[in-house]
Amino acid sequence: MKTHVSAKALLTAAGLALSCSVWAWNEGGGEKDEAMHLTPNVENGMDVFEVCTACHQPEGWGTKDGTFPQLAGQHKSVLLKQLQDIRAKNRDNPTMYPFALPREIGGPQALADVVAYIEKLPMNPDNGKGPWPKGTPQYAKGEKLFKENCVKCHGEHGEGDAEKFYPRIQGQHYKYMLRQFEWIEAGKRRNANPDMMKQIKNFTPDDQKAVINYVSRIPVPKKDLAPSKDWRNPDFD
Amino acid sequence: MHRAIRLIVAAAACLAMAAPAQALDGAQLFKKKTCWACHGKDAKTPVMPNYPKLAGQNAAYALAQMKDIKSGARNNGQTAAMKGVMHLVSEEEMQAIAEWIATLK
Repeated sequence: MKTHVSAKALLTAAGLALSCSVWAWNEGGGEKDEAMHLTPNVENGMDVFEVCTACHQPEGWGTKDGTFPQLAGQHKSVLLKQLQDIRAKNRDNPTMYPFALPREIGGPQALADVVAYIEKLPMNPDNGKGPWPKGTPQYAKGEKLFKENCVKCHGEHGEGDAEKFYPRIQGQHYKYMLRQFEWIEAGKRRNANPDMMKQIKNFTPDDQKAVINYVSRIPVPKKDLAPSKDWRNPDFD
Repeated sequence: MHRAIRLIVAAAACLAMAAPAQALDGAQLFKKKTCWACHGKDAKTPVMPNYPKLAGQNAAYALAQMKDIKSGARNNGQTAAMKGVMHLVSEEEMQAIAEWIATLK
């Protein structure tokens, strides 16, 4: 009887440990690795992208109000990881979930194709920005916070790191980033990098807004931008 | 005679320009507010089998559901997928979308 109880207790403990353990941030293997190493067919990527355009827009710019993020110019690795995480339910996104399923997007080759297409799209020259322009105390506060906390992973200019799956955050919409930041801090965005969660855990709501305001105002290199905010993706005329 | 026709054409053009300011275009809104992403371009081929077909739905019912999902009064079923975009639509726009849905076969 005693052994039976402890075995049961052990099992329960193991189950608890499993269900409470943080999902490994970026496990290797699987479809993502496979897709990373396939040669993309960008033409097919364009066809796959069509289903994404209803929300992310034909330009991949998302919406300035931050409801949908800008995807254009994002690193392939990051796009792949997020798609995979949403599909595998490691990142809760009920709105996007059906579109990330294999029957909508396809297998590893289709994933490789669509992310290659998106990465090459020119970015929105008019992304949604925070309320405080350069020269305001809030901007200065955000700049300081950014330099102290974010550059190590996201880079001096928020360019991210493709090799490490760190997203490019320059040019992203203010309200989208703010929402994700809040969710990362609160643990709601479950696929957040644990290092980031640690880094930002003492940020106050004011700190969050200030740093995201600064990030939303980091200029994107001209070569990566569309010629104007009125540019329309000719692939979807 | 020709002059009369010209006058009528001018009057009609004038009316056509004034009209859109009042009537919201439900079909346009259905696309612009991203409804069609999930419910299908024809409003009857949803992306998931557990999402509803909307074409032909009663306008009053559709409007009530949209309002309740937006406010959070209804939060069961698949509403989590829709709630996140509902800040994009005002009540007038929901009304226009509901009326357009009701006209579909």
